[in-house]
Amino acid sequence: MARFLLARLGEVFGVMLSVSFLIYLVLEHNAADVAVKVIGQYSTEAQRALWLSENGYDAPFVQRYFAWLWRFVRGEWGSSTHYREFVAVLLPQYLSRTAILAGTAFGIIVPLAFTFGIAAGVREGSIADRVISFIAVGTTSIPEFASAVFLSAIFVFWLGILPGASMMTSGFEWPQLVLPVMVIVLYDFGYVARMVRAAMAEVMAQPYIRTALMKGASPARIVFRHALRNALVAPITVIMLQIPWLISGVLVTEVFFAYKGFGTLLYQACLNSDVALIEACAMTSVFVIVTTQLISDLLYTTLNPRIRFGIRKGEA
Amino acid sequence: MFKLRTNSGRPVHPDVPQVTDLFLKGEIDRRAFLRTVTLLGVSASSAFAVTGATPAGAQETPKKGGALRYGSAVMEINDPMMITWTQPSNVLRNVVEYLTRVDEDNMTLPSLAASWDPSADLTTWKFKLQPNVKWSNGDAFTTEDVAFNIRRWIAPESKSSNKSAFSAVKDVEIVNDLEFTLHLSRPTLAIPEMLFAYTCPILHRKFVEQGGVWTKNPIGTGPYSLVEFAVGQKATLRRRDGYWGKAPHLDEIRFIDLGTDVSASIQALASNQVDLVPAINTTDIDVVKRLPNVTLLSGRAAQTICIRMQGTQKPFDDIRVRKAMVLASDNQKMLELGYRGLGVVAENHHVAPFHPEYFKLPPLKRDVAQAKALLAEAGYKDGLDVALTLGNTQGRWEQDTAQIMQQQVAEAGIRMRLDVKPASEFWPIWDKVPFGLTFWAHRPLAVMTLDLAYRAGGSWNESRYASAEFDAALNKATGIVDPKARSQAMESVERILQDAAVMVQPYWADRFGAMSNKVRGFRLHPATYNNLTGAWLA
Repeated sequence: MARFLLARLGEVFGVMLSVSFLIYLVLEHNAADVAVKVIGQYSTEAQRALWLSENGYDAPFVQRYFAWLWRFVRGEWGSSTHYREFVAVLLPQYLSRTAILAGTAFGIIVPLAFTFGIAAGVREGSIADRVISFIAVGTTSIPEFASAVFLSAIFVFWLGILPGASMMTSGFEWPQLVLPVMVIVLYDFGYVARMVRAAMAEVMAQPYIRTALMKGASPARIVFRHALRNALVAPITVIMLQIPWLISGVLVTEVFFAYKGFGTLLYQACLNSDVALIEACAMTSVFVIVTTQLISDLLYTTLNPRIRFGIRKGEA
Repeated sequence: MFKLRTNSGRPVHPDVPQVTDLFLKGEIDRRAFLRTVTLLGVSASSAFAVTGATPAGAQETPKKGGALRYGSAVMEINDPMMITWTQPSNVLRNVVEYLTRVDEDNMTLPSLAASWDPSADLTTWKFKLQPNVKWSNGDAFTTEDVAFNIRRWIAPESKSSNKSAFSAVKDVEIVNDLEFTLHLSRPTLAIPEMLFAYTCPILHRKFVEQGGVWTKNPIGTGPYSLVEFAVGQKATLRRRDGYWGKAPHLDEIRFIDLGTDVSASIQALASNQVDLVPAINTTDIDVVKRLPNVTLLSGRAAQTICIRMQGTQKPFDDIRVRKAMVLASDNQKMLELGYRGLGVVAENHHVAPFHPEYFKLPPLKRDVAQAKALLAEAGYKDGLDVALTLGNTQGRWEQDTAQIMQQQVAEAGIRMRLDVKPASEFWPIWDKVPFGLTFWAHRPLAVMTLDLAYRAGGSWNESRYASAEFDAALNKATGIVDPKARSQAMESVERILQDAAVMVQPYWADRFGAMSNKVRGFRLHPATYNNLTGAWLA
């Protein structure tokens, strides 16, 4: 297990290193461009040259990259040209807001998807299965920008019971979270429910379930004791993959509701060619993706005893 | 019988009686009269008395207190003379002040300057400041502050757009603590109006010494102080004690950034999260009209888009190509389809029919056959490929309009490709691309824009147009007081520019905003120089 963990950590490290190189290559290979982006279009040629030499841009590319990487690792992420603030101050602020949004959505998606997925998968082809599958496919196929408009039309313009913008300027307010969470849940829960349903239906068709049934076990006992644990294995990967999606994929929803989260930050950074901020946002995304994958692999091993990583044939 | 008084108490400018005469004979309208005499230093109340009208007053007694939530982008403000958007100026305007104030009807009123008196030839302007004005840090406000600002605008190394706007200013002479004189190299009537341009707030004389970043050290003479500022999020202003003028009604003004998606602003308004959204798109008008408790604001403004061609770049260095482009375009259709007809058709010379100095030229005629002939003559028998760069800086309607033009010029064999960029990528290159679509904000006088954009070497001369004949005609027009004579002098200015086929300028776009019914005492300013000092919450 330790060897497996070490190997995986090594992989994570390797992925992050190569992505960091790509990001740096794309954003900073042209030093003159960086100068314009950082000190502005009205700067003179002399000012740019001065800035470039002051910030070590005279060095060859690879040397510059390692210098940047070293600063990045030590937490010196530079400052944002758009927000006029240190990235290290900005990022936790915006990331935590997205964590609240994504966390709430996640907390609703998972139980909802499991309830519906299990109910549908227990008896494949039943009326419950048909209805749930219809809803799940339906909601998943409506993109967020469309459901955001529909939901605001209903709850903001027609019923007038929910706030339509979620900028949270005067502190945290729960009502402002409702609409964005609704949009995300609506878009995502159907997909996860379908995954749970498929896994459940597959398990329910296994011979050992039939055996349990013939032995006279109650349906509740069959579902919760025999089927569920086995059916969890496949959806767990899917669910873990929702976390990185929730961090950066909520961009559309955040921008629509003027929610000042990580998605908005990344969006503004890209729109305004805010080099330091894009780098930090991209690295954060990569970090989230690789760590969730690592966690999902670990969960996979605990749930499925047939898989033992790092053990070669014959050793067991 | 009518007594026109100056704000300073000095005798009125020698041209004032003649302008009054023209108005009484009905040769110029009330607006032109009021605007002209107030520019010459006449007090607004005495001018209103001549017209027989009284200034529009509030019907209700304003209620004091409360916080107004103002939905608008919160952008960085480093050096106020360098800002390129009007949104930062709306934050600034409540904390720092301008020498003059141009109101919603384009009348120029005193602000930090209590009075001004131009010489008969309009080249020497004597200004007197409001006495007893204190900066928020306790310093006295004097002519030294004013001179510091104006000299900074026109300094050789200045990068502010004020430099070309005030290119006629030779020097600022400090007479005493409260009086200063501007010496001009050519007669300019619009000086008091130009001093309210959004890049002209008067900063403390130690602004540069103390770091040159306004938000870090927001000293001002205005009624509010900046208490909170976060780019992309919010700016909070709180009313301060010790303001020299009439205290405003609101305790607080909160600028709330609602992001780049306009739908969020409308939603915020619908659910009572903001009180005022000063700029909305034409596509949102129908939604706003249907909202209860929300009022649609609209106003005619001299804001426009210019689809301009750089005469220094191929293929536009050939006037036949530029003329063909203009002839193949149909401005009326672009207004109807691109902006739902909510404006006034423009005539490719950047002077609006509602500008006081407008002269009516014969209407433009579309002529595709002639456009084709000109192109063939210029060597493009098989058509011409061009790329138009645009940034939708004000909204999707810019692109909609360009698409209609694309179809129109296609009939003449011009294959126009649209190169659409995000606004932030467009701004760094707006004046550099050979063929581009630029939004131009409202100016109360057309000559202010013409000075900036079409004078040879003007700082915002994006078309690289340079004509000694045009500059001379413009110089002549800017020095004439009499609105009628001035408009006649504008004939050659407009004709020269129109004949040079510098741009396709399809229409003047009306402005739209929305506010909650709770908000009183607020009107949309045609230039978005929104004034909140009279606003209050019911």
